[in-house]
Amino acid sequence: MIKVDNLAKKYGDFGLEVSLEIPDGTVTGLIGKNGAGKSTTIKAILGLIKPDNGHITINGKEVSELTNSDKCMIGATMSDSGFSMYLNAEDVIHILKKMYPLFEESFFRNKCSELRIPMDKQFKDFSTGMRAKLRVLIAISHKAEILILDEPTAGLDVEARNEILDLLRQYLVDNEKCSILITSHISTDLEGLCDDIYLISNGKVVVHEDTDVILGNYALLKMDEKSYESLDKEYVLTTKKDSYGVVCLTNERQFYAENYPELVIENGNIDDLILYI
Amino acid sequence: MHIILNKTSMVPIYEQLVDQIKKEIISGELKDDEMLPSVRTLSGELRISSLTVKKAYDKLEEDGFVVTVHGKGTFVAATDQQLAMEARRKSVEEEMAAAIEKAIALGMSKEEILEIATIIMEEYR
Repeated sequence: MIKVDNLAKKYGDFGLEVSLEIPDGTVTGLIGKNGAGKSTTIKAILGLIKPDNGHITINGKEVSELTNSDKCMIGATMSDSGFSMYLNAEDVIHILKKMYPLFEESFFRNKCSELRIPMDKQFKDFSTGMRAKLRVLIAISHKAEILILDEPTAGLDVEARNEILDLLRQYLVDNEKCSILITSHISTDLEGLCDDIYLISNGKVVVHEDTDVILGNYALLKMDEKSYESLDKEYVLTTKKDSYGVVCLTNERQFYAENYPELVIENGNIDDLILYI
Repeated sequence: MHIILNKTSMVPIYEQLVDQIKKEIISGELKDDEMLPSVRTLSGELRISSLTVKKAYDKLEEDGFVVTVHGKGTFVAATDQQLAMEARRKSVEEEMAAAIEKAIALGMSKEEILEIATIIMEEYR
């Protein structure tokens, strides 16, 4: 269980102030525009930056007090984390064996060959896809109970993204208690994986909702100015007007579908949240 | 077990899941005491969140179609025959209600609807 309680961090005129909770066995997505504070939050949880205020606990223990063996229970990837570019996968096995008592060498080797990661090639000659897959593979190769993944699928083609997501899905099946905190700009990646979603904007949590509520109850309503005037706006979250019409975001799709059959209603998704809130 | 989800449908994913598993149980495709896939297995294969599958399983349990044994898994509830028959009848009723609703929306009269029913029935005689 990860608990972030009133975490505060100030960088010049940017201020981060978030609280979130990832219970055991839950997959939580963190979304938001660039610079919203996602990576800062993740760095704070990993103890890589010191918060100005607030508490972060992992399994009940303050992050600053985690011992090395506590940290072995965490698997993490950051956007440009990794080993020296002059090493290869074979070298990394030796390092991981020393670092993690629960490192599973045969699992690692099998997955490397499944994912077509060469064992003897220096990382500097790896493609973007190989590096990304290796990063995630390292995070899941030592029986971690908590995975913290910052943009694990960034910059990858659809096939490589799916390979990484399938790797995570399989890990979730094999490790029932495992929980994941993941960020991504590709919302469909999160829609098929996360149980709940936090939307961060300007350093604050603006939405926290179960993924299936976002997909099932949120919707975009599209209409002209005249229909907008007569619309019951009780469940309208935000409204955007342009020269051709009005678009409203709602979290009560059913209400509008039943009472305003003439409206154009589009199913909501995570991208709509980012764009309209 | 066959499950086909339509992610662009207006029907919420968990409801689609509940409906399809119910159909499999009512038709006998899923047998009594048969184990359903674990929440994470099914969510992984269908590429939907675990919570969605869990909600569907909870609803099925609430409706008496499955039983969850903690630490073991979710199983098709051993239905007594009368209950199963009732559920089948209810699903027939629901489908007929939907057809009648459609007919009324088209402005058909009671006589016209009954006439269609009679004609269809004659084909089965």
